[in-house]
Amino acid sequence: MSLKPKRVNFNETWKELQETVKCVITLSNVPRSTWNDRFSDVYSLCVAYPEPLADRLYLETKQFLDNHVKNLLEKVRSNGKANLLKSYYQAWSEYSLGINYLHRLYLYLNQQHIKKQKLSEAEIVYGNLTPDTQEQMEIGELGFEIWKKNMIEPLKENLVNFLLEGIHEDRLGEGNPNTAEIIKGVIQSFVTVEEYKKKENLLLYQKIFETPFLQASGEYYKQEASRLLQVCDVSMYMERVTQRLKEETLRSQKFLHCSSFDKVKEKCEQHMIADHLQFLHGECKPMVQQERKGDLTYMYSLLRSVPQGIPLLINEMLEHIKQQGLQCVTSLKGENIYCQFVESMLTLHKKYKDMINDVFSGDQSFIGALDRACSSVINYRINPKVSSRSPEMLAKYCDFLLKKSAKGMSEAEIDDRLAQSITVFKYIDDKDVFQKFYSRMLAKRLIHQQSQSMDAEEAMINRLKEACGYEFTNKFQRMFNDITVSTDLNNKFSAYLKSETVDLGISFTIYVLQAGAWPLGQTSITPFAVPQELEKSVQMFEKFYHSHFNGRRLTWLHHLCQGELKLGYLKKPYQVTMQTFQMAILLLFEKTDSLNCKEIQDTLQLNTEQFNKHVTSLLESKLLHSSTQDVTPETILKLNLEYSNKRTKFRITAALQRETPQEVEQTLSAVDEDRKLYLQAAIVRIMKSRKMLKHNCLIQEVLSQSKGTFSPSISMIKKCIEALIDKQYIERTPNSADEYSYVA
Amino acid sequence: MKVTIKSWTGVATWRWVANDDNCGICRMAFDGCCPDCKLPGDDCPLVWGQCSHCFHIHCIMKWLNSQQVNHQCPMCRQDWKFKE
Ligand SMILES: [Zn+2]
Ligand SMILES: [Zn+2]
Ligand SMILES: [Zn+2]
Repeated sequence: MSLKPKRVNFNETWKELQETVKCVITLSNVPRSTWNDRFSDVYSLCVAYPEPLADRLYLETKQFLDNHVKNLLEKVRSNGKANLLKSYYQAWSEYSLGINYLHRLYLYLNQQHIKKQKLSEAEIVYGNLTPDTQEQMEIGELGFEIWKKNMIEPLKENLVNFLLEGIHEDRLGEGNPNTAEIIKGVIQSFVTVEEYKKKENLLLYQKIFETPFLQASGEYYKQEASRLLQVCDVSMYMERVTQRLKEETLRSQKFLHCSSFDKVKEKCEQHMIADHLQFLHGECKPMVQQERKGDLTYMYSLLRSVPQGIPLLINEMLEHIKQQGLQCVTSLKGENIYCQFVESMLTLHKKYKDMINDVFSGDQSFIGALDRACSSVINYRINPKVSSRSPEMLAKYCDFLLKKSAKGMSEAEIDDRLAQSITVFKYIDDKDVFQKFYSRMLAKRLIHQQSQSMDAEEAMINRLKEACGYEFTNKFQRMFNDITVSTDLNNKFSAYLKSETVDLGISFTIYVLQAGAWPLGQTSITPFAVPQELEKSVQMFEKFYHSHFNGRRLTWLHHLCQGELKLGYLKKPYQVTMQTFQMAILLLFEKTDSLNCKEIQDTLQLNTEQFNKHVTSLLESKLLHSSTQDVTPETILKLNLEYSNKRTKFRITAALQRETPQEVEQTLSAVDEDRKLYLQAAIVRIMKSRKMLKHNCLIQEVLSQSKGTFSPSISMIKKCIEALIDKQYIERTPNSADEYSYVA
Repeated sequence: MKVTIKSWTGVATWRWVANDDNCGICRMAFDGCCPDCKLPGDDCPLVWGQCSHCFHIHCIMKWLNSQQVNHQCPMCRQDWKFKE
């Protein structure tokens, strides 16, 4: 074949070409050689000499296709209305395939002649130009355009009615499996004929099919919802709706273009869920209260899909968890109320966390509700004027686990419970109150050697540090360190004694603590004449300490010291652990069996409070007898020579080390003092940087700064502001009553 | 002997004996530590000069290092000598 342009007889060439075109479009057999010849004919016509015949070829081909589709329409119609879908589909299947082949036969025309005239893609998409309708199209596009005009236009109403009917039957479960392919194919033809367009190429599909389809679907589901509501209770309704939604999704995939999937889903949800939101919402409360997990799973997935569906359910959960929690905390009673408190809070938290994971797929909004509920239960005030006891109870719980008293539990179990308790800790608002109680209890455990294990103590401090920061546990850490370094200190002291060849006569150890780190109030300090038996130890240690540590002053805390005493005056020998003051009292009975209180107190120089406390404890232990009911200066104390105990080794310190209500009171008022100092410091800091501030702004800033550790009352902040005005750190500005300025 | 002491565990606290409450260099309380340390006490001790002024050891060492020629007490400007 020659590529050189030449004269061509159009009529003759077209006559031959047309025959092949007819075969191609009806999918009849075209021999390869014929195909090749016609392929070059198209070329020859396009480049014909003296003038190209491309435009004529285009017009003739258009005319041919126009007639062809018109004939097809007649054929489709003649098959009868009942067979419309099927015959349309058959004609379309053949035509759409044929037109694709034809497009290839006209390759030269499409690529050289027509593409050149076309607007660039960018011009169509971004410009406001619309392609001129008169403009020539590629043959494939032309074929679809003609199909649209000559076939779809005249048939569209009937076609769509049959499509809707077919899908409706499918919904009723009466669909014929053989028609599914036809329905999908017909719908797809509405998409295919415009697919070549660069812009809005789903318009035809949407206009003639999707819009009426969505309308019909809406109607259907509206009716379906009312029908279901008449025969179902809420559980069944939700189950059916869920089922319908699932089926409709599959149906969309079976029949529709993917751009319609979400729209159909939205329609169903609108009519079956959103339209009946009041009904569904009304059922939430009992469902939540009875914790009907199955129902709630359905409810969650239904409500989640519509706007404004889920908040009410979240709120019902929050209220329910809160009620369950409050019921729990307000009904605690008995000895170990703190264990009950922490453990029931942990159970509550775990139960609802599991439920949220199972039923609400771990939805963060529900976790948020759980947090809010737990927080309001844990910080609940039975009396609004009295702060919650939770921080104290949690500290006690930790104390219980960390003390030797937690018998019968394995180390791993104790460790696990301590780790769990952090969950409760995180919800506590007044973390500073917890800190105070924890610190006092830690001090007692460490000084009285009651810790189960130093590893466990350290691990717990680290957990608190992780949860609340370094500052929060700074003092705990220092206390812990003081105790751990004391071993080393005692070894050094022993070596010192050896080098000085001194024998103390008793086995002596000591804890030397940093005054600032320990919550050791001054209240218990009393004068005390150290018994002769201990004097040497005291003196030698002081000598040693001052020679080793420059510039430090040592203060003995005798009320915290304890020792082991061997009793040799009874039928059996006993070893009793007791506090130093008790030891000192017993030592005075060396030369006599009875003494009066005044004599003892004068000798030991103890203050009355401490003296009475320790005498009472000795009386309670039955090591001493007294002449009167109450302890007065005249009371005569006698050694109980008949004393006996099954155990030969025991301690009588426990009662003294227990926390008293006064101590709790002291701890709480210490927290209050700390808070005032903290707030005043915060106010000064804020005012120093801002120079001038309105009252409300200042309050807000203070609140946000103190959030992590406690939530101060507004009245407390006001009092601190007043105090600072009195101390002339800040003053009211002359122009406004509610504005302050910093006094440099 | 009716009663004999087998063992005794003493408890005592210590604090710095300083003329001031705060370090004259870093202004932190002697109960606490210098700004470079985390824990007060043995890890951040105090030292005294012969002029009887007292500082965190870390603070005075930094100060002395920063002085090119004369090593003076930052409080009283006397020559700095550690008290033995
Ligand atoms: Zn300093
Ligand atoms: Zn330091
Ligand atoms: Zn000085």
